[in-house]
Amino acid sequence: MSAVLEEAPVTERTAHSGGATSATLDLALFEARRLLTRIPMLLAFAAYVAWIVWRTPKFEDGFPALQNADRATQSGPLLVGLAVMLCANHAVLRSQRHDTERHFGVLVLTPGRRTAAHVLSVVPAVLLVAVGVAGQFGWEALRPGAVGTGSVAELLVGPLLVLLFGAVGVLLARLIPSGFAVPMAIVLFFFLFFAGAVPTGTGERGTRWLAPVVGEMSSGAIPSDLMDRPAAWHALYLLGLGLTVGLLAVVAGGGRGWALKGAVAAALALAVTGGVAQTSGLPAKTVVARAAATNNPEKQQTCVNRDGSTYCSFPEWQPRTATWASVVRHVQSLAGGRAHTQPVLVRQRIYATDGLYSDGAIDPSANPYQVTVGTGWGGNRVPEFSAAVSSVLVAGSEKATGGMCDGRMVTAMWLALSWQPDPMRSLRDVRLDDSVTGSAIVLSPTDPLQMTAGQTDVVRELLAKPQQSVAAKVKAHWAELTAPKVTSARVAELLGVAAPKEADKCD
Amino acid sequence: MTTTVSASGLSLRYGATRALDDVSLRLTPGVTGLLGPNGAGKTTLLRVLATAVPADGGAFTVLGQDPGTAAGRQEVRRRLGYLPQTPGFHPDFTAFEFVDYVAILKELTDRGARHREVRRVLDQVDLSEVRGKRIRKLSGGMRQRVALAAALVGDPGFLVLDEPTVGLDPEQRMRFRELIAQAGEGRTVLLSTHQTEDVAMLCHRVLVMAGGAIRFDGTPAELTARAAGRVWNSTGRDPGAKAGWRTGTGSFRNVGNPPEGADLAEPTLEDGYLLTLDDAGVRAGVAA
Repeated sequence: MSAVLEEAPVTERTAHSGGATSATLDLALFEARRLLTRIPMLLAFAAYVAWIVWRTPKFEDGFPALQNADRATQSGPLLVGLAVMLCANHAVLRSQRHDTERHFGVLVLTPGRRTAAHVLSVVPAVLLVAVGVAGQFGWEALRPGAVGTGSVAELLVGPLLVLLFGAVGVLLARLIPSGFAVPMAIVLFFFLFFAGAVPTGTGERGTRWLAPVVGEMSSGAIPSDLMDRPAAWHALYLLGLGLTVGLLAVVAGGGRGWALKGAVAAALALAVTGGVAQTSGLPAKTVVARAAATNNPEKQQTCVNRDGSTYCSFPEWQPRTATWASVVRHVQSLAGGRAHTQPVLVRQRIYATDGLYSDGAIDPSANPYQVTVGTGWGGNRVPEFSAAVSSVLVAGSEKATGGMCDGRMVTAMWLALSWQPDPMRSLRDVRLDDSVTGSAIVLSPTDPLQMTAGQTDVVRELLAKPQQSVAAKVKAHWAELTAPKVTSARVAELLGVAAPKEADKCD
Repeated sequence: MTTTVSASGLSLRYGATRALDDVSLRLTPGVTGLLGPNGAGKTTLLRVLATAVPADGGAFTVLGQDPGTAAGRQEVRRRLGYLPQTPGFHPDFTAFEFVDYVAILKELTDRGARHREVRRVLDQVDLSEVRGKRIRKLSGGMRQRVALAAALVGDPGFLVLDEPTVGLDPEQRMRFRELIAQAGEGRTVLLSTHQTEDVAMLCHRVLVMAGGAIRFDGTPAELTARAAGRVWNSTGRDPGAKAGWRTGTGSFRNVGNPPEGADLAEPTLEDGYLLTLDDAGVRAGVAA
């Protein structure tokens, strides 16, 4: 014998405890769960995570400036944003597609609130992207070589983009009830972008800030207080735009009332305020500060002494001076004569006049034994700095290295590269054309150097020999090896390798 | 007896067509059948009572609320269950998700209570076993029961069912009858159908509509009684019959005004319905 217990139906009192707002939130949660499990969303999030995992370790060669790392989080969420736009649009059109509106139209929750729920349903995707952004930035910030300061406003751009794109998807569904609207909108957006109709502007500020993501031409870094990107205004602009579009979708979905109209007006005010403020001109004090940092960096820098040499950097780069000192130590340990103990001044120099909008060349210093270092580090920057140190030790100053067309180039390059973990790879990295044969330009923080094919051959041969045996000869013949006009053939002879087939080219 | 729905003088025009013409009615708890030919205005009446479309004229109340006001309409919707004709589904949803979705749209906001309620109504329509199955994988009869569960969720006081048994096989229809009968216990159900036997078996009251107006309002027995003495058997189709058809025994069953000395037969509700339509000037006869 068995007893059947029938459950009591939900009564008015318990069922409708929260009212319309609570139901709207419940529906938003329901829609959010579905949104996050759509295939385009899963693919977009997988691609986004893969992009973070692939890109983060490589960013700025593992020595990120956090004022650049924050901005680097902004392009990945675009893909998620497009997926959210597509899926939110699809979800709004679901009722029409399956003809459930006749039924749902007589249910309690109004179409306006249902639209609001669709807009709110993108919030978890926004939060997930925020987690992704935080993870990506946090990963960068925790790297041992990280320097500088990130901006919360820059970090907000990615999540706000997703909010904006999701709201656009919902609004499009309410205005154009067709599944083709979003794909067409995406195609149109890219068409306009490539046709140049999307604002790109002609200056550092201006209309280019009306675009959702505002990148920079320069790949370098400058101190965060000199950047002066209107990131907070841009975040406000995106937030205002996202809210405006979302609220307009609610209006288009049938939402009415003074509160809604007021919210639309407030959101629009946010968008306009942010939009106008971000496009205004660069403050005069920033222009002055940038000029000072470019022309007289010493006034903004702090210096430390390591092993007798002095290392001056903008405050945010102070942690990196130990790394620079390590390079100087390596090069000097292989050098002979006075250069072995010569104190050098390593000064960080930047071209900050145009902010990050464009790059400019840094003139070589005429000061004796002063070496320029930039803001980047890791990867090719290490052999480049090493080449700058060795050539200054050989020639006496950066200015003097410009005339180093003779056999000194061989000594300088061997000093720069022989201590590296993989000297041949460093030789390739430091040359503009990534070659290890023939003539090539050698990159440096200031003016580049020039290696002839013959000098390259001699350097390559020297790098293949045991370091200590070459070092002993370098120290023994230091004066002759670093004498102006010494030929590469003579250098080769002194260091015990075959002479180059062609003579040095000193015009 | 408590009046759940009270309407007087309801009218609605679609262009030149008078879809509802001065409809007045009172509905009480139990199942009320709504019969009528295609285009009679049944679905329009149901949609008006379900607050899907407003009437042009007249007034009505549902469960004491006036749907003419926004607040009243919301209150009605809160206590209304509606199963539209050929209901739509979201095929990617499971049965549970679909009913849960409808429950949210009915503002059942206590998540735990709502989920219990969804399970209860799915159990009531005998779909507990397949509640996790996507709707696209359910049979037509199961889908119809999902729609009924969606209408029943939240224990509505007034249930509007628009031709819920269309397209179902006899076994499924039988099952549906049980469910509707169960649903009619303690609440008011308005059932629009073309199946006169459904009305005969389920309803305590029947309305017949034609041309947008109510042509009959009474019990099934009263509708059947309209055909008393107006149904007879003959060896051939009687030319004087409004309708007549050959039966399985080879004799003809005629409905209309019998000739003298005719072999009168026991009338059915369908006979009463046909004669009511005929009396209303609607051609509903069946030729042999």
